[in-house]
Amino acid sequence: MAGTTVSATFEVYRFDPKKDASPRYQRHTLELAPHTTVLTALLRIRGEIDPSLALRYSCRSSICGSCAMQVNSKSRLACETQIGPELERHGRIVLEPMRNQAVLRDLVVDQAPFWHHYAKIEPHLILDPRRPMPAGKENPMSPEEVERFKETPRCIACAACFSACPAVEADPGFPGPMALAKLYRYVVDPRDAAHQDRLLAIQPGGLWTCLRCHLCTEACPKDIRPSERIRDLKEMAIRVQGATELGSRHAVGFKANLRDRGLLNEMKLVRQTSGLFGMLGQLGQGIRVARKKPEILSRPRRIEGLDEVERIYAALDTDGGDAK
Amino acid sequence: MKLAYYPGCVAQESGKELDLATRWVCRALDIELVDFPNFSCCGSGFIDEANEVLNVALNARNLAIAERAGLDVLTICSTCQGMLSLANLRLGDARVKARVDGALKPIGIEYRGTTKVKHLLQVLVQDVGLAAIRAKVRRPLRGLKIGAFYGCHLLRPADEMQFESGEEPRSFEDLLDALGATPVYYRGRVMCCGFPIQFVKPGTATGIAGRQIDDAKAHGAEAMATPCPLCHLSLDTYQNQAAKSVGHALDMPVFHLPQVVGLAFGATPEELGLPRHLVPTDAVVARIGPTTPA
Repeated sequence: MAGTTVSATFEVYRFDPKKDASPRYQRHTLELAPHTTVLTALLRIRGEIDPSLALRYSCRSSICGSCAMQVNSKSRLACETQIGPELERHGRIVLEPMRNQAVLRDLVVDQAPFWHHYAKIEPHLILDPRRPMPAGKENPMSPEEVERFKETPRCIACAACFSACPAVEADPGFPGPMALAKLYRYVVDPRDAAHQDRLLAIQPGGLWTCLRCHLCTEACPKDIRPSERIRDLKEMAIRVQGATELGSRHAVGFKANLRDRGLLNEMKLVRQTSGLFGMLGQLGQGIRVARKKPEILSRPRRIEGLDEVERIYAALDTDGGDAK
Repeated sequence: MKLAYYPGCVAQESGKELDLATRWVCRALDIELVDFPNFSCCGSGFIDEANEVLNVALNARNLAIAERAGLDVLTICSTCQGMLSLANLRLGDARVKARVDGALKPIGIEYRGTTKVKHLLQVLVQDVGLAAIRAKVRRPLRGLKIGAFYGCHLLRPADEMQFESGEEPRSFEDLLDALGATPVYYRGRVMCCGFPIQFVKPGTATGIAGRQIDDAKAHGAEAMATPCPLCHLSLDTYQNQAAKSVGHALDMPVFHLPQVVGLAFGATPEELGLPRHLVPTDAVVARIGPTTPA
């Protein structure tokens, strides 16, 4: 509403690893219109109260992707997050640097790991010689081919998804949502010659660490939906290469498992994914669990109408992925 | 209220206590559960990764079973909720619908898309309502600090699940409050439990579970509660391994959603299957005050 202001309390993360033993939170209360963005508020704090505050920003219009940070624990672009809804929900606004990247100072992080994973996917066209660039022209694509990119070309590399990702947090070797969404973009590009190699290269340690928690899709300011593109990559990897990784073996094993009885056979799934040797490694845990939950030792019942399930498989699982 | 009961695999197998507690709570709330012995597994997200259309078709069959009976579906697992809802959504795409119909029609199954899929948490908070829940409480969980742990697929992608905020939900905390407990807010409550990679990268998976339990504890939680039996596997069944991954004991009792409701309604631990948990719940349950007669 024009003219009305609210009293907005900010708690801004301050930390200089070269000087400070630990981070502190600096509190500021400003009178602001509820539609003020977090970035505008921060620039007022820096301009009028404390010029030593470090932050990264440039375009102020959610195009450059520079100002991603945590707003009340959510990874967001500061330039497009209004203070009103945050204050309504939390009564205050806590501003912290992105996660999964070391703090350089205050709200500025070292993005090296994020860019490292991006560079590793070779984010450029490797032209297919069978589809040469027409002389004197751009390399044209049909509208249907362009549609396969889905929303991925809109990515502004802000790293909000990388900050929100629990798989990156647990395993720094995991490329993260943005690198994989970009990879998808090249894998489906009809002008690119390397899509099979790209899928092959990403699998060990890459694709199958994704938890499909969809936190990246919530964090993304451009609705790239990285988690859904990672799903697409997994299905493509199985179709192109078969179940070569533990992760793809688990997915394909699950698919075969359900076909038997219509319900999951928990014990058999462990065997399908880990093999007999892997199962032995889990023997202690199995005995411990079976004492409280003896059902894990028996097979599930066979559902009624299993023949219908079987016919759905026969119709739609023809190229399976179990074989190549 | 009458609903098609979709228990999912785990609640029929190693997580039977969840089925037990769900039936107890639904009886107490006059929710009639209709069993369908022909429901299949939802694919748990894994079949979706291996073959998207197959996954949609299997769940279209499940939805069509409820549709024929004219009932909405009740799920008690965040992943089942996610997979069944996603099937409804993806069948809105004419190309997907055509392929799925091509497999279903020859076996006499018609999917029309008239059935809603609701998780027990949704039914309790939105359909039964917190006032009606409060009225049923005979043994308030007074003084008990409980950290809700939502499970990803009940919430996200939020624009597809159409339940509540994917990052800042509050229905479970509101419910805990109605039961007399003190909800604990912590970052981990909306995070992943690690289960999807339990068989692929066990150490990483249990480390993720341990981190969320630690976070709940650091914010004062004495127990956790989850609407997802897969999260329960990570947080309870594999808690010993989570403890190994984070390098210290966790000792965190973890309830299934209907177990906390049942306890507040006056059910005994046995009626709710609590003795089946790997991490004992008795010490926490013993701290709840006496039951007032109805």
